[in-house]
Parts: sequence; structure tokens; C-alpha cells
Amino acid sequence: MNAEELRSRFTGFVFDDIDLDVEADSLAGFALACGETLPKFTDPSDPEFQSVPNYTTRIHGTRSLPPDFPVEMDRCFDAGKSIEIHAPVRPGDKIVGRSEIADIYEKTGRTGNMLFIVHRMSFYNQRGEHLSTVDWRLVQREME
Amino acid sequence: MGAETRADDRSFDSVEFGEELPEIHPDVSIENVRRFAKASLMLAGRFTDHEEARAAGLPAAIVPGIMSQGILVALIHRWAPNASVLSVDTIFRAPLLVDSKPTASAVVTDLDEEKRIVELDLTLKNEKGETPVVGTARVEL
Repeated sequence: MNAEELRSRFTGFVFDDIDLDVEADSLAGFALACGETLPKFTDPSDPEFQSVPNYTTRIHGTRSLPPDFPVEMDRCFDAGKSIEIHAPVRPGDKIVGRSEIADIYEKTGRTGNMLFIVHRMSFYNQRGEHLSTVDWRLVQREME
Repeated sequence: MGAETRADDRSFDSVEFGEELPEIHPDVSIENVRRFAKASLMLAGRFTDHEEARAAGLPAAIVPGIMSQGILVALIHRWAPNASVLSVDTIFRAPLLVDSKPTASAVVTDLDEEKRIVELDLTLKNEKGETPVVGTARVEL
């Protein structure tokens, strides 16, 4: 199956969703380890305490690819992540994350053909506010 | 959103095209990466244990890609504590090794005066001068 066929069959629908309760220790630990110094990111007692902008990149669904997807995860590598931030995560938030395949395309490099799979997770809080959209680019070399 | 103004806040008008942000030297020691892994529930041995990483064919434990991204976001906040980060895109070109001595840097590549948005190119270099992580960000001031 080529990239076009894969895109036609596997994009455009949510194949997984997860719930996550956000804890202050996780928000602060993430921020401190990355070298943040602003109390609004590192100190849970700060009145403005919130996540660093890219916090939701750490959240994974129950599966990375749809059922029956003809590529195994252990043959892919992580080529990058992008995030669009719409609102901060706060401690006590109950986050819902929904996964879909946003795009599939091929590129040819020095080492041969590579298949790019864009796994997109969209995150919402308990009020239905859209927090962020994270695109995770997975690459498989030498598509079969 | 009600936050107080700080003395080191940056105004959009003070930012220049081509401006280089002050570099930072992030802590990617095994202890700090384990702290990140615990907070993020990314407890795979390739991040937290050199021996496990070597057994998996890596030269040493590797820094999680999203920690590298977080380091670059922290660089932005050191430069402009009032920056509102709208988006970040990072490309993981090669593993960044735990216990290495990386340098994070950035440069202003575009200014949208109407929307007061600054675009940045982001780089994380290792001590050999290689760039295992590059990226871009859009921030509002």
C-alpha cells in the first residue's frame, strides 16, 4: 500500500481517546527539569500556576497508530513534534486527548524512501476548551 | 490576563530582526533527565539508564525529544518572561545524549508588527558543535 492509499484509508477519523487528571507535581517537575525559572510554571502556590506551553506533548494515547495500520511502531522513529498552544493546562484539569492520523506522505532522501506519518492529538479540558494540538511526526525508512 | 509586569519583560518594539537570544546551558544530567522522566511518566530505560540504552544499541541514554523542546521553550522565557508561546515545532535530527553539555540558542527571524508576533529559529547543539535538535517558535509579546 503506498502513501496515497494509506492516507485515503487512515486519515480523517479519531481512532483513540484518553483521559488524564493533571497533577501539580507533574506540571512543576516538567517545568523545573526543562530549566524554567518563572514561578507561574514552577511553584504550585503561585496564583498564576500553570503548565509550560508544551506540557501536553508528554501525553500519549493508548495506541499510536490505528488498528490494522500496516506499519509497526517499532520500525518507526520519532522525527519531531510540533504544538499549537491555545490555552494553558491547570492543576486539577481533566484532559481529554483525541488521536487521529493527520497526514501520510513519502520523501526520498540519501538513504532511500521514507514514509512520514503525522499522528495528531487534540487536547481539551473539562470545560471543552481546546488546549492544544500536537503533531508527532513518525518516520519509517524503506516503505514496503 | 492579570499578570503583573516584571522589570525584565520584553516589549515587542524592543525586539530586533536578527537578534540573538542569550544562550543557556541546560542540565541534561542523568539525575535531571530522571526527574523529567518521572514528571512525564516517560520511564523507558533508554532515557534513564546508560546501560539499558547501550544494550538497545544507543551510544548512551538519550534526552527525550520533548524535554529538548521544553529546554528551548525555557530559553524563550529566560529572554522574555512575558512571552506567550503560540507554537513550537522541533525536529529531532539525532539523539541528544544524557550527561552531555549542550547549548541552547535562538535568533529572531521575523517580526509581525500587526499581530506583535516574533518568530524564532531554535537550536540545541552538543559539545561537538552538532545540532541534534532544531526548531522554530512563534511568540506573542
